[in-house]
Amino acid sequence: MNGDRSSQPVGATTVGTGVVAALSVVVAVVLGDAGVVTLALPEILRDFGATVWGVAGVLISFNLVLALAAVPAARLCERRDPVAAQATGLIVFAAATTLCAFAQSLGVLIAARALQAAGGAVVIVGSLEFLVGARGERVGARRWAWAGVAGAALGPVAGGLLTSLFSWRAIFVVQIPLVLAALPAVAALRGRVVRVASSLHTAPDRPYIRANIALALLSAALTAALFLLVLLLVDGWGRSPALVAVAVTAVPAAALASGPILRAARAGTRSEAVAGAVLIAGGLAGLALLPGAHLVWTLAPQVLIGLGLGFALDSLTEAALRQRTPRALHGGWTIAARHAGVVIGLAILTPIFTADLRHAETPAKEAIARLVLDAPLPGSTKLELAEHLGRSLAAERDRVPNLRPAFAAVRVPSTQASAAAALERGLEDQLTRAATRAFRTAFLVAAGLALLALVPALALRDRSGS
Amino acid sequence: MRRIALPVIAVLLVAAVLGVQIAAGGTHYVPLRPADPCTPRPVPPTATQLEPLAEQIVLLGLDNAACRLGISRERLVLALAESRSLTPATTAALKAGLRDAVQRLDREHSLPKVSQLLPQVLDQAQLPGIAKTIVGAIPAGIIDSALPTGALLLRTIDDLDINRLSHELSDPSKLQSAVQSAILRAAASQILGRLRP
Repeated sequence: MNGDRSSQPVGATTVGTGVVAALSVVVAVVLGDAGVVTLALPEILRDFGATVWGVAGVLISFNLVLALAAVPAARLCERRDPVAAQATGLIVFAAATTLCAFAQSLGVLIAARALQAAGGAVVIVGSLEFLVGARGERVGARRWAWAGVAGAALGPVAGGLLTSLFSWRAIFVVQIPLVLAALPAVAALRGRVVRVASSLHTAPDRPYIRANIALALLSAALTAALFLLVLLLVDGWGRSPALVAVAVTAVPAAALASGPILRAARAGTRSEAVAGAVLIAGGLAGLALLPGAHLVWTLAPQVLIGLGLGFALDSLTEAALRQRTPRALHGGWTIAARHAGVVIGLAILTPIFTADLRHAETPAKEAIARLVLDAPLPGSTKLELAEHLGRSLAAERDRVPNLRPAFAAVRVPSTQASAAAALERGLEDQLTRAATRAFRTAFLVAAGLALLALVPALALRDRSGS
Repeated sequence: MRRIALPVIAVLLVAAVLGVQIAAGGTHYVPLRPADPCTPRPVPPTATQLEPLAEQIVLLGLDNAACRLGISRERLVLALAESRSLTPATTAALKAGLRDAVQRLDREHSLPKVSQLLPQVLDQAQLPGIAKTIVGAIPAGIIDSALPTGALLLRTIDDLDINRLSHELSDPSKLQSAVQSAILRAAASQILGRLRP
């Protein structure tokens, strides 16, 4: 199937480093966009008074449309003027991003995210052709894959920092100039793209199913690493988005560190994919078995996930594209697989952890009741406190409640202040334990998805064999 | 060899991280579980004030009631807070539990003398000043022999309207007043019982 067309680029260009850099940035921005809102979700949830499912819709709409639009977008780029398609994609993405930045309701935000993904799909698959045309098949495809890995890994960090420094709207505002900056670079390609006519008249190669299924399963698992970890740290443990943004840099740092390791190991596609799946599954299992609510405990599991991300996504994407034409179409398949995986991951994991969060209420309330009953405080103070705590717990269904207002509402004599403070700390600890426990099953299911990726990964053909 | 090395290293790394986390208590980081209500708790030192004494009796009584109902003390408390309408079985279990608590404290000589509690009760009771003065003038020995604490508290519990008290849980002052009234009624009833031939 792969024939000798693989050596002939569909679009051959002679472009400068600036254009390559601009295209790499837009690929990173668009693919990073799947996760860039992750750290902003708790703030979006509060801003719009939404439910966990509502904010999951912000992620699902983008990833679902990207998954559905990637292959048609690739066909569009293949059959029409790729420069015009790319420019249109950039403009649609920038316009939709502007809409996201100024959305006044969750519905508008979700719709704008879907539009963003439609434009983004064209931008990503179009960029693959241009990068391969500019840098050759191997280097161009690897650059495209790495831009995607970097975007996916850095997205949540950038989103968290921007949300903390400004607001969740800032994460969309900063994307607009980055995307529009690529427009002149794309315009400069006009007239320099040489189409190879044969590619338009021959049947496309079949997509590499095993690599794409592995990509989908690992993306589903990685969703947990980002979406669930951020929700656990911000909403469950009450950490600030800025601190969480810094803490989750362990994933991109490890992903970047995986590059030199891969080059030194030269283990082959199958080994890299298998090792990546094992590391991602192990990291997620580590997040399910956190022994405390200290950020330090999340670092080693994150490093495993980051290394796995670098190992598996890079090699699987490369395997899915290797010697298959048209490249944009196969790039589209990898994007469709990855983002369908994200949607599947969210669809499987969100109900699991929201149900677990609800089920965590009873043990959390019982633990709170035990501490309040046994607290060295007068009975009248305990009764008053219990009344306010009950209201706080009832007001925050499906979320981890904030107990501070309950303690603030009770006037405690100075002689009892230290006992009351100790009780407040104890109750916060119980809530943190209950929240951490509530995420355990979802992390373990995500680890299972990563392990499931071993099945197609073990059946991959190695580089020499393909 | 190269092909197998990377997955093997990955497995070893994962095993090391998970091993450390499990050794540090990763499987046990869960909320505090309710204690078994049927295992007797240690009795705290004798309380000579009404509120701490009432709290001791209520906490031990809740344990006993929960044990009778086959649920945890915490689940019983949450049920009381949420429903505020008690089933006959719960009311009976609570009364029996409170009685068991008083009897245990009495057996372990952990109940204060009534004369120790009397000044506080009189101070807060809605009685005419002359009545308070007369009762206050009675020697402690006479009061303690006429009103053994255990018997007085058992009579108080029998007299308590548990359903009504459960509605007063949100207002500690009303609850305190209801308990004190019940104690005074029980004391009066016990004295009258002694005076009858």
